[in-house]
Amino acid sequence: MRRALLYTLLAVASLVMVLPLLYMLSLSLQTEAETLSAEAVVWPESPQWGNYAELFTRAPFGNFIVNSLVVAGGITLAHLLFDPLVGYVFAKFRFPLRNTLFVALLATLMVPFFVRMIPLYVLMAHLGWINTYQGLITPFLMDAFGIFLMRQFIQPIPDDLIHAARIDGASEFAIYRRIILPQTRPALAVLGLFTFVFQWNEFLWPLVATTTPEMRTIPVGLTLFNQEYFTLWHLTAAGSVILFVPTAVLFIVTQRYFVRGIALTGLR
Amino acid sequence: MSVLRPRTLSARYARTAYLFLLPAILFFAAFFYVPIGNVVSTSLMSGPSADRFTGLGNYAQALSDPAVRHSFLVTAGFALIVVAGSIVLGLGLAMALDQPLRGRVAFRVMLLVPYLTSVAIVGLLWRNILDPELGVLNRTLVALGLPEQQWLNTSPLLTIAAVTLWQNVGYTMVLFLAGLQGIPETFHEAAKIDGADAWHRFWRITLPLLAPTTLFVSVMAVISGLQAFGQAYIITNGGPGDATDLSVFHIFNVAFRARDFGYASAQSVLLLIVIVAFTLIQLRAGRRGEVQY
Repeated sequence: MRRALLYTLLAVASLVMVLPLLYMLSLSLQTEAETLSAEAVVWPESPQWGNYAELFTRAPFGNFIVNSLVVAGGITLAHLLFDPLVGYVFAKFRFPLRNTLFVALLATLMVPFFVRMIPLYVLMAHLGWINTYQGLITPFLMDAFGIFLMRQFIQPIPDDLIHAARIDGASEFAIYRRIILPQTRPALAVLGLFTFVFQWNEFLWPLVATTTPEMRTIPVGLTLFNQEYFTLWHLTAAGSVILFVPTAVLFIVTQRYFVRGIALTGLR
Repeated sequence: MSVLRPRTLSARYARTAYLFLLPAILFFAAFFYVPIGNVVSTSLMSGPSADRFTGLGNYAQALSDPAVRHSFLVTAGFALIVVAGSIVLGLGLAMALDQPLRGRVAFRVMLLVPYLTSVAIVGLLWRNILDPELGVLNRTLVALGLPEQQWLNTSPLLTIAAVTLWQNVGYTMVLFLAGLQGIPETFHEAAKIDGADAWHRFWRITLPLLAPTTLFVSVMAVISGLQAFGQAYIITNGGPGDATDLSVFHIFNVAFRARDFGYASAQSVLLLIVIVAFTLIQLRAGRRGEVQY
């Protein structure tokens, strides 16, 4: 009895979560007439795969995809490059002003993006970086959260490993590259995964920092496409599917990492 | 000996540390600390190119501007619903999943899927579903002979908060699940032997021991709820009227549609103060609560 109740509850909740997304897929394959029919179409009689092609003729959707890949990919690479290095320094080095700098770093966690939005826009306009990749990427090259995560992960690595390598005459950077970095692989996977998904989905900054359609990322390009052609819901749905597929695939492949990652970030 | 060749070992390590830190120091200075300084200094300016000094004029204006006050209230209401919903629904689902059930992993995956979507998908998809004429929900309701819904007109704030919960509740569920799994089984067993029923065990064991997770969830939900933007931009355009004029959406419009950077900056600083104050109050309250256990 109790068990049946639990299953019902979980099944209903799961349907509420998944059904809208399945409807999005169905909508993306309907004809325009089907999207407007009085009785909603559950699944189109003949799926209109051509909707996906039509999207590319109505908007520079190819550009959106490339831009999203470059921006989210570039930011993810930068995080993988910088966050562990900075985390390593705070985990294993003693130096003047260490605690001050660490507090100054953690304080940036309290600064929501909207606070930086206006000054960053002014800065980018001044540099002529509106509508450029560098304008979209540079504000997110690293963040305190990733650095903190890496520091926590590197701290338990025994100092002896580092001392031994120093005695063997390894350079400081080689110690980081050869000894520290290989041990952080699980944390790097989580960091890369989360950074990519968040940046792939990011909406506010690409909206502010682009004015030409050719430089928009998918979330922004799709939203403004929908404002222009707001009755063509089958095309908006097709664009949404394109936006969603990479994160869905990444999630299915790395589901365990993902759940562990959330738990890891949540419980310090 | 030259300055560049440090004498002691610790000085050499310090030099290495600073060398490794250099990109980060430059980045956080250029993209966090300088912009924060600039938003404060811009907030003291007025005029279309924000070059006329007005002191605290923008702040005085913002505090007495009915539109700004209204958007603060709207945002507070939105955040309140999202926080309460995240805790109640997230904890409820986590407790349901924290049982020896078949298919737990599949349920967890399905519940977490909306969390991976962009706010653009969430906004566009639900605007389509809820659209009074074209939306799938009303077309289905009419076909079934049921009354139509007008939720985006009758209770827009609650509706966009519910849509936000649809996206986020899987995340809080995973956090609570991790918290639940950290509670030793022996506590529940001991309480059972002492004759405590499930209700008592929930209030006296589960909830107190989950306090750190609940604190974290509520801090995160307040921070993200107070800076929601896409929901208003995509689903409601702040309307109907100004019923869903969330603060960041309001600031965005003042800055990029009305082109008043000074006034928008002052409002950003005010919202930042509210967010930081809320976070500090919650953390302090949480710390006090923890002492008892």
